[in-house]
Amino acid sequence: MERAEPMERAGRSPAWALFVGPYGIYLLVFLVLPFANVALLSVYLHSPTKIAVAEFTGANYAKLWEAYYFTLFLRTLRLSLIVTVLCAVLGLPLAYLLARSTSGIKTLGLFLLIMPLMVSTVIRVFGWVVILGNEGLVNQALRLLGAEEGLRLLYTEGAVVLGLSQQSLPFMVLPIMAAIERISPSLEEAAQNLGASWGQMFARVILPLSMPGLVSGALLVFSVSMSAFITPALMGGRKGRMVGQQIYEEVLTAYNWPGAASLTIILSALMLTLVGLALWTTRRRARLEMAR
Amino acid sequence: MPGARVKLAVQGLTKRFSPQVTVGPLSFEVMDGEFFSLLGPSGCGKTTTLRCIGGFETLSEGTILLDGQRLDDRPPHRRDVGLVFQSYALFPHLTVFDNIGFGLRLRKVDKAEIARRVRQMLELVDLPDVAERYPAQLSGGQQQRVAIARSLVLEPSLLLFDEPLSNLDFKLRIQMRYELRDLQRRLGTTAVYVTHDQTEALALSDRIAVLSQGRIEQLGPPGDIYERPASAFVADFIGSSNLVKARVRGPGGGADTAVETEHGMVLTIPHVADAAGTPVTLLLRPERFQMTAGNDGDPRAEPVANRTVANRFTARVRDVTYLGEDLHLRVVAAEQQPLLVSIKNSKGTRAITSGAAIALVIDPEDIHVLRR
Amino acid sequence: MPGRAPRFLWPFAIAVYALLLAPLVVVIAVSFGSSSTFDFPPRGLSLRWYRAFFSSETFVRSFFRVSQVIGLSTALVATVVGALAAIGLVRLRFRGRQAVETFFLSPLVVPHILLGAAVYLYLARLAWPTSSITLLLGHIVIATPYVIRCVTAGLVGMDPRLEEAAMSLGCSRAQAFVKVTLPLLRSSLVTGAVFAFIISFSDINLALFLAGPGAPSLPVHIFAQIQFEADPSIAAASALQIVIVGGLILLVQRLFRLRLMV
Repeated sequence: MERAEPMERAGRSPAWALFVGPYGIYLLVFLVLPFANVALLSVYLHSPTKIAVAEFTGANYAKLWEAYYFTLFLRTLRLSLIVTVLCAVLGLPLAYLLARSTSGIKTLGLFLLIMPLMVSTVIRVFGWVVILGNEGLVNQALRLLGAEEGLRLLYTEGAVVLGLSQQSLPFMVLPIMAAIERISPSLEEAAQNLGASWGQMFARVILPLSMPGLVSGALLVFSVSMSAFITPALMGGRKGRMVGQQIYEEVLTAYNWPGAASLTIILSALMLTLVGLALWTTRRRARLEMAR
Repeated sequence: MPGARVKLAVQGLTKRFSPQVTVGPLSFEVMDGEFFSLLGPSGCGKTTTLRCIGGFETLSEGTILLDGQRLDDRPPHRRDVGLVFQSYALFPHLTVFDNIGFGLRLRKVDKAEIARRVRQMLELVDLPDVAERYPAQLSGGQQQRVAIARSLVLEPSLLLFDEPLSNLDFKLRIQMRYELRDLQRRLGTTAVYVTHDQTEALALSDRIAVLSQGRIEQLGPPGDIYERPASAFVADFIGSSNLVKARVRGPGGGADTAVETEHGMVLTIPHVADAAGTPVTLLLRPERFQMTAGNDGDPRAEPVANRTVANRFTARVRDVTYLGEDLHLRVVAAEQQPLLVSIKNSKGTRAITSGAAIALVIDPEDIHVLRR
Repeated sequence: MPGRAPRFLWPFAIAVYALLLAPLVVVIAVSFGSSSTFDFPPRGLSLRWYRAFFSSETFVRSFFRVSQVIGLSTALVATVVGALAAIGLVRLRFRGRQAVETFFLSPLVVPHILLGAAVYLYLARLAWPTSSITLLLGHIVIATPYVIRCVTAGLVGMDPRLEEAAMSLGCSRAQAFVKVTLPLLRSSLVTGAVFAFIISFSDINLALFLAGPGAPSLPVHIFAQIQFEADPSIAAASALQIVIVGGLILLVQRLFRLRLMV
């Protein structure tokens, strides 16, 4: 879609400042400065009595190599990767169907997709607790079928993966759906006319051409999972503990603000790198999209 | 030249989109090696018919046979039919080489063989140097040739074309027309070609099926379609026409018949068996009028036995459209009969301006009676 | 229509949707249950948990005084600020426009928990105690990008010549904007406002850090209840949230193409 022509020429500062100024300043004050503060805090010394002392130290970052933190990070990375792959596998076919469906089905499908996204995370997790708990849905069903002991489903890594996947799936489906919508149906027909079964057509035409959407989706899902807090807190127990919980506790319970700051900076750096990576790959592939 | 064997048989093809919108029943046969066109305005059903043959629409009724075998019960990826799309549908993420080799790779042809056949095809469509480029880097004409090459390399029994030239600009379209025809003749592949451009259909086809609102109006070689259209629709769709309503007057000298137009103009046409008073519709092609010298010929005079003075009349020119090669004149003959006349631009026609009086004549053989 | 997708795709899709919606369906079902355990399917139907919800002072306060008020305030501020920003980004030309736009939309990709921690620590440095105001401030950060996206899409999809036509008929530029563009942007503005409300209303990660100590938002209170005193009144609270959010999304779907939002 072409951008509407700008009405003003460069140099009309007053009008520009009036429109863009408010939010710009707001973000500077409530986004940039807080993170700058966090960066600063991450090199301050932590003291149990004064929380943070204005002496520079690398101890907060060094601590992250300790076994506890290291394992925590590794687990968070591992679970996030699993969730991302799972969402990709579940989301691709769904994205294709939605992209190619008629308007009525598409509207309904989109509504049912976005709804869970917009409802608060606590509520979604609460639902899973009801389903997976010891007295929950699944175990009730198993007991009805005659099982003696219930399955311990909650407070496992599996539960966290399930919960995070359900939460992040729409983030995967929507960009892929948008990408597939840009692929002309005549390309699918051409592939089939040349002898490709539907599966071959999907693998050789749809998949490569929807890659930018897949990358966007994967990035979003991965970052949501990496920074997840509520889901692992309520569903993960000790086995499914993730970095987000660590940050929360170090800020509000342990008052180890420098420690929390270093964790925050690490995660933020990771997110920035991923975003940069995603933008770079999207731009490289963009030139292939030119021929339609 | 088309052979005597039936390559494609379409029998009772019907596609129902809704109670009001139906294509068919259509039946026609395409002979082996023939270049067969489906011609008609948008919405006439020609693309639907093509897509049914290609397998992208399912038939509501009817059958399609290719070389005597049922075609319509096979999925689209298992028909021995090549389809060249209007938008070319080249895969943007593959090079020209990989695009053309796409079908061969699916059939597990070995790499050396693929390379050989793709290069051969590129030579055939006159694009020997673009194998490593991507479709986005090619011009429209080049993309179209790659699309054709991609279908041809699989040596299909039947080639389908869905308005392949309509995205090209005018001069390129004419040039591609010749190339397409040559290619098809050289390879002898049977082709079914969909277009709304009647000049294209006339130039390329061995036979044309003119479609309107889901039915075949007329089927035949270009000459028949143009010279002897079966209905007013066909007459109007192909070439320009003057459709004149008239009534049979009676014998017109010799074996001819005289008719009187609704504006009172009397014309001589070849013999028709209808009784006097029968209404008829006449087709007078604008380019069949000729200018004569002098002003002999009074449309109100009695028809003469001598054919050489039949159908002479004067007309007043209302406007002249200069088209370089031709002049299109909108004239009004005696009794306000409006006509469109097309004459070749030459020294002698330079003087014609709006308001001038000119003398015209048309051979009775060039007047065609439309029966529908 | 591209040739046939394999038949297993549709059942697969339905199974995935079942996964997506299961928690929500269960929550709504449990909220109507008559027993105090989380039975699914519920053994009897009753509204007792809704009554329990409305008779719990904390729940009611968190719902009406905190979440709704902050939600509406967020929607208001975010819409004004966001609309201004969007108009500036689309219609005005200035150096670094692309960079500014990326900057303005960056909160969309910042994980809320990181933002929550960062703002909390920042407020602590400024010795600014948390309260509903601080929560509102945090919500404005994350909600405004949604408004910017909506209004940008609305502006870009509009023919700029409409304003030019109005001006050629005698309006000043400002008048043309108010009389022509603004009415056409109405659906974008409403959609943006609705999304800003939903984002604020559903947020938990920011609220855990920034909400006032005695004034938890609804999600925060639900969180606390799940951990300490789980009874199905949580389900009632949750079901109410689901219905409100679902209703608002339906409303928006009628006004605007939904998928541009996320």
